[in-house]
Amino acid sequence: MGRDRWSAAGLALLAVMYLLVARRYPLDTLATPGPGVVPLITGVVLLAVAISLFIVAGTERPARHVGGLSETGAAPTRPTESARVLRSPLVLAAALLLYTALLPRLGFIACSFVLVVLASRLMGARGWWRPVVLGLGIAATAHLLFARWLGVPLP
Amino acid sequence: MSELFVALTPANLLACFVGTVLGTIVGVLPGLGPAGAMALVLPLTIKLGPTAGLIMLAGIYYGAMYGGSTTSILVNVPGEAASVVTTIDGYRLARKGRAGAALAIAAIASFVAGTVSVVALQVAAPLVARAALAFGPAEYFGFALLGLVLLANLTGGSRAKSLAMVLTGLMLSTVGMDPLGGTVRFTFDLAGAQAGLSFVAVTTGLFGVAEVLASMAEPAASSAVARVRFRDLYPNREELRRSVPPMLRGTVLGFLVGLVPGPAATIASFVSYGIEKKVSRHRRELGTGAIEGVAGPEAANNAAAGGGMIPLLSLGLPFTPSTAVLLSGMLLMSVTPGPFLLRDHPSVFWGVIGSFYVGNVMLLLLNLPLVGVFARVATIPPKYLMPGVLVLCAVAAYSDNNNIFDVWVMVVAGIAGWAMRALDFSPAPLVLGLVLGPVLERSLLQALTIARGEIGGLWASGPASVMLAAAVVAFVAPGLMALVRRSATRTT
Repeated sequence: MGRDRWSAAGLALLAVMYLLVARRYPLDTLATPGPGVVPLITGVVLLAVAISLFIVAGTERPARHVGGLSETGAAPTRPTESARVLRSPLVLAAALLLYTALLPRLGFIACSFVLVVLASRLMGARGWWRPVVLGLGIAATAHLLFARWLGVPLP
Repeated sequence: MSELFVALTPANLLACFVGTVLGTIVGVLPGLGPAGAMALVLPLTIKLGPTAGLIMLAGIYYGAMYGGSTTSILVNVPGEAASVVTTIDGYRLARKGRAGAALAIAAIASFVAGTVSVVALQVAAPLVARAALAFGPAEYFGFALLGLVLLANLTGGSRAKSLAMVLTGLMLSTVGMDPLGGTVRFTFDLAGAQAGLSFVAVTTGLFGVAEVLASMAEPAASSAVARVRFRDLYPNREELRRSVPPMLRGTVLGFLVGLVPGPAATIASFVSYGIEKKVSRHRRELGTGAIEGVAGPEAANNAAAGGGMIPLLSLGLPFTPSTAVLLSGMLLMSVTPGPFLLRDHPSVFWGVIGSFYVGNVMLLLLNLPLVGVFARVATIPPKYLMPGVLVLCAVAAYSDNNNIFDVWVMVVAGIAGWAMRALDFSPAPLVLGLVLGPVLERSLLQALTIARGEIGGLWASGPASVMLAAAVVAFVAPGLMALVRRSATRTT
């Protein structure tokens, strides 16, 4: 099963789970439509699209890449799927989850400092003193700029 | 109209300056795009109040269009998608020693197109807004639906994948309080989800965190930048003369494409390049370093950015991720864009439009002398830049509602967005589904209620029926055309 089939199956599963939860919300009548109407339509259409994606995925040639660029300016990325390439983003993803879990306990400055040091090391920074200075700088600047100067509350 | 001069107060000028500088930097840096950057500074802009805040956001939006061309020309790395075409001839011009001229023409083309499109925006937006005053729920439903279908068609790559992303966005938009009755849906008893998923959190995740994760999987780009001296910046008379027609064609075309939902700026630049290849007197030289290949697309992408503001300002419907962030910024500042914006908040409406004029002049003055500085920004290694982006993302997501739940949403959206990129799903349609979902749901339910349950009420009026018919055609046509093409190839 190719990548596209797997992602289509994932989308179909998402649609089914969404529809199962959506059953809780009443549809009522067409004249007084209830909160369940739009979720029902959305879920069914997504399921249909996912099924068509699954069927087509086996027969279609790969999508063109030039047209696939988004307006948002995302540069085209095509990560190769070797374990070595995937390792550091996966570690960073785990670190981000941990960061969020620890934010309310350890506070913004401490958590952000550790995150920056770790992220910068994962991205190929050598040694320790540069990442540490960078971490201190970013955490302190963000704190001063947002919490002190602009009065944005931080955890 | 006198409110146009609101943009000239010192505070607003400063906001415009900061916005355009930030935007140019974002445009120069590959990776983080305008939508992500605008979402990142949302918490900051809210503190500035509606007019200055929106002026700053708009400055980023415009600045990114300017900055994107700089690295395209100097380093052959497009800073954002709308500048991809500029690399073709821009970088070759730089190799020929005409980098300065190419940069200057790009800046001038952006300036001309930006200014012309603001004039058109200034004339058209109030007219559209006045027409839209007559729009009821059925018309809004038709328009939003048409927008989403066109968006899925035009996003590029697989249409079914874009459609799936639109629907996923719609699905996420149903989390929280429903828009009419007040039933709480899909929150799984999480207090933070009651008000719905934070748009800022989803956007910073999809365009900020995901971009950082994706950049780690790529090898670092080489960072050799051609040095450009100030006196090299003058294009010669021949180059100027040759740039005028493509610049004008690109402007008109870009503005029209900007009105259509989808990644308008990117499409406009590609279409402009295609047109130059057909009609330009120097079409043979395109691809080998012709100035037309810079002037046309750079004018087109800036004009498209102006055109895209019309549906936002006069209907309240954003059709690009960047204008969606502008919309959410407006809503956070209790300004509702749409037909009533001009009536209720004239100083915001004209202030933002006025700032476009100021911003365009500022960008021209900024870009010509400082081009070398901005080009050097592109050479900051990601290992020093990206960690800061992560922290900014967390600040932006948290400060939206002062809620740690939103940081969770951001991190999950970031990881999901990284996976989506790897599987060739574009995040832009998802974001627009999320933004337009409540509009679509509310207008559908209201239209049904008004029509007393008659589904025909959805297409009872002229404009509504036209838009729904167009949506159906746009939905069915690409599939039919593919079928026709397939049977044609089979018979031959």
